[in-house]
Amino acid sequence: MGRYIIRRLIQAIPVLLGATLLIYAIVFALPGDPIAALAGEKRMDPNIVAILRDQYHLNDPFIVQYWYYLTGMFGGDFGKTFAGVPVTDLMAGKFQVTINLAVTALVLEAVIGIGLGLYAALRRGRPADSLILASTLVLISIPTLVTGFVLQLLLGVKLKTAGIDLFPIAGVTEGWRSYLLPGFVLAGVSIAYLTRLTRTSLAETLRADYIRTAVAKGLPRRRVVGRHALRNALIPLVTFLGADLGTLMGGAVITETIFNLPGIGQQLFSSVHLREQSVVVGIVTVLVLVYILANLVVDLLYAVLDPRIRYE
Amino acid sequence: MRVTNGARIIAGTALLALGLTACGSESSTGGGSAAGGDQPVRMELGEPQKLFYPGDTTESEGAEVLAAVFAPLVKYDENKQVINDVAESIKTTDNKVWTIKIKPGYTWHNGEPLIAQNYVDAWNYAANQDNAQGANGFFSRVEGWADLNPGEGKTVSAKGMKGLKAVDDTTFKVTLSKPYSQFKTMLGYTAFYPLPKAAFGPDGKITDAYAKQPIGQGYFKLDKPYNKGTDQTIDLTRYDKFPGTKPKFDKLQFKLYTSPETAFNDLVAGNLDVHDSLPPSAISRAKTELGERYIDTADAGVGYIGFPLQYNKIYSNVKVREAISMAIDRKTIAETVFSGTRAPADDFINPLLDGYRQGACAVCNYDPAKAKEQYAAAGGPKTLELGYNTDGPHKEWIEAVANNLRANLGVQVTVKPFEKFASILDDLDKKSYTGMFRMGWAIDYPSAENYLTPVFSTVAIKTGSNYAGWSNKQFDELLAKGDAAPTQEEGLKYYQQADDILIKDLPYIPVYFYRTNAAFSQHVKGVKINLLNQVDWTKVEKVA
Repeated sequence: MGRYIIRRLIQAIPVLLGATLLIYAIVFALPGDPIAALAGEKRMDPNIVAILRDQYHLNDPFIVQYWYYLTGMFGGDFGKTFAGVPVTDLMAGKFQVTINLAVTALVLEAVIGIGLGLYAALRRGRPADSLILASTLVLISIPTLVTGFVLQLLLGVKLKTAGIDLFPIAGVTEGWRSYLLPGFVLAGVSIAYLTRLTRTSLAETLRADYIRTAVAKGLPRRRVVGRHALRNALIPLVTFLGADLGTLMGGAVITETIFNLPGIGQQLFSSVHLREQSVVVGIVTVLVLVYILANLVVDLLYAVLDPRIRYE
Repeated sequence: MRVTNGARIIAGTALLALGLTACGSESSTGGGSAAGGDQPVRMELGEPQKLFYPGDTTESEGAEVLAAVFAPLVKYDENKQVINDVAESIKTTDNKVWTIKIKPGYTWHNGEPLIAQNYVDAWNYAANQDNAQGANGFFSRVEGWADLNPGEGKTVSAKGMKGLKAVDDTTFKVTLSKPYSQFKTMLGYTAFYPLPKAAFGPDGKITDAYAKQPIGQGYFKLDKPYNKGTDQTIDLTRYDKFPGTKPKFDKLQFKLYTSPETAFNDLVAGNLDVHDSLPPSAISRAKTELGERYIDTADAGVGYIGFPLQYNKIYSNVKVREAISMAIDRKTIAETVFSGTRAPADDFINPLLDGYRQGACAVCNYDPAKAKEQYAAAGGPKTLELGYNTDGPHKEWIEAVANNLRANLGVQVTVKPFEKFASILDDLDKKSYTGMFRMGWAIDYPSAENYLTPVFSTVAIKTGSNYAGWSNKQFDELLAKGDAAPTQEEGLKYYQQADDILIKDLPYIPVYFYRTNAAFSQHVKGVKINLLNQVDWTKVEKVA
């Protein structure tokens, strides 16, 4: 097991290096001059532009720029933004917000998704099941942008003006409460998918021979569902959740913008826009790392859920 | 009990989540939603582009913060006139040598007195190419600026500009390389703030610590260093030793938003007090829900359609340009497309400033019949191209203009989106794009001249924003006469004559003037937006 983990982690190194090179190249290839973009629509003094370009090594060929970046990175220096803020400081603050948001979303997703799916699977074919299926379909078809604005207006603004201060509208200044509404909005579509996945997976398991045996044996229903069926049905769900973590972290641009959360999704968006290679590559590197670790954890969980699976 | 393993994992994740979010709540700043006597006045702000270097803050958000921390030499009154603020007197006899005397009693937030040398230090710093400050060009009129800007790769040997000298602790003298009557008007701008000794490190550069928590001489001081990218609020406390008119409340908080819609929701819910950049989508709600707490005033910005005169000959006939101008229905664009957040343009000079003449641009009136006739008579091209940048709110109005041209001129119009404004300029330079383009201008200092020199003068082709590449000798001469005029009024006369040439020759088509759409909460009153598009905090009061 330990050797397996170490092997997986070593495999991650070329993946990370490849990812940084690729992203660096992609940002490099974006059209437009970063210094000109910094100046907005007014022309900066050409002399100052030249000096800034020199300062950020923008006149050097791609491979030289990448080398500067890579050597800096191994020294723990991820570079600076065009505003002169060290990328490491920037990322530390942004990831704090994003992790809070992603974990809130993931927990909501797991609890609501698995709960509803379980309920639907056990009530298969009945009105409750149909209702859950229909509502997940609705949830899947509404874009995050819409759920975000609507929930913000209804649960944030309207409730607050009615005197009930339950969900903060924007920002992270209210502690964990700040993340509830955005977490739900972010998890929305995934909740729907997870519900459907749980329902199908569990319904299928419930039809298996060993479940019939367990029922025939006279085991209580709770035990049959909980211990025998759910555990086996969890494997595809854990895979889904693991893969979703990465998406929730890097792809929350819309949710972060609507709820004014200073997370990495937003930062990534604006940095791509400003062509801040150092920031983009730094964030993507960490995200790749998150994906790799999440995958590893998922694989290890398989062994916990199904003792037949062993890693050597 | 094997089953519970799964449950344990979920429960564990949940606990972890709570733990993490709890950490988050501890480290977060600000808060304090409970209404009370100590609650700050909260103002909406976009994230400042840079840390707080006065000489490198050329955008509105950073400037808004600095305007609360620094007191300018001059400010602008309600009649659009320049009046002294920190300056006791600003004297000149020839528009070339200016003697500036500062009022006594001003101190920096660290207790040191404000002296004339602070201005000299700050301006020399901003003007030195080694410091790569964005506002460097503002000092190009000062004698000796060239010595500090010998060009990239060359070493700066001069210590400072020779035209800038502190006479004594309260007086300094600025010598310009050429007479410039509008110099006094410039002095209210961010780039002309002074800097204390404490700003500079041992290497003579502004320190990081200072740029995060600038020490100013204005009526507010920053409570703590600003961590760009992480902090969601910038908190300020009134500086009680400030000798001028102080605000009537003691705490000010800038709340950083990425979406103006979100900020508006926060204002409606009572979590925000002042919002000065309402998006078009919020206008109708603001009017109905806020009533008198909605503000709609002129803003100094102008939006144009530009012609690539330098790059493409098909637009060289002025009759064609006039026809295109007359074919644009500015009123509908301003009122419908922009929901009233713009006003139809009828001059190159904005109505917010002295020098604007209503209806000055006759060909800015919508006249489709005449447009069609004149376009055909002048043999205008059958296909037109119209470029815009997608990183601003331009798609809708550019499409509207394109539709106007299609319908009224009977031509084919291709609308071409560009990723950002800089890409349009790049492609124009490379001649891979030769069509018309959208263009905008926001003033740096409130003078009519600022709509002319930086955008249309011949020198601005290289160093300014003259992207049309238009050049007119008579226009340049009139600007020079205005710059040398002994009084503001006389100067204005020449600038208006220069404006007339623009209207006659139409290198750009003015399409709309910006409006400032602001709103404030029930917790405050007296919110006024000044000529620089900033809130005048001395007039704001908290409502108990």
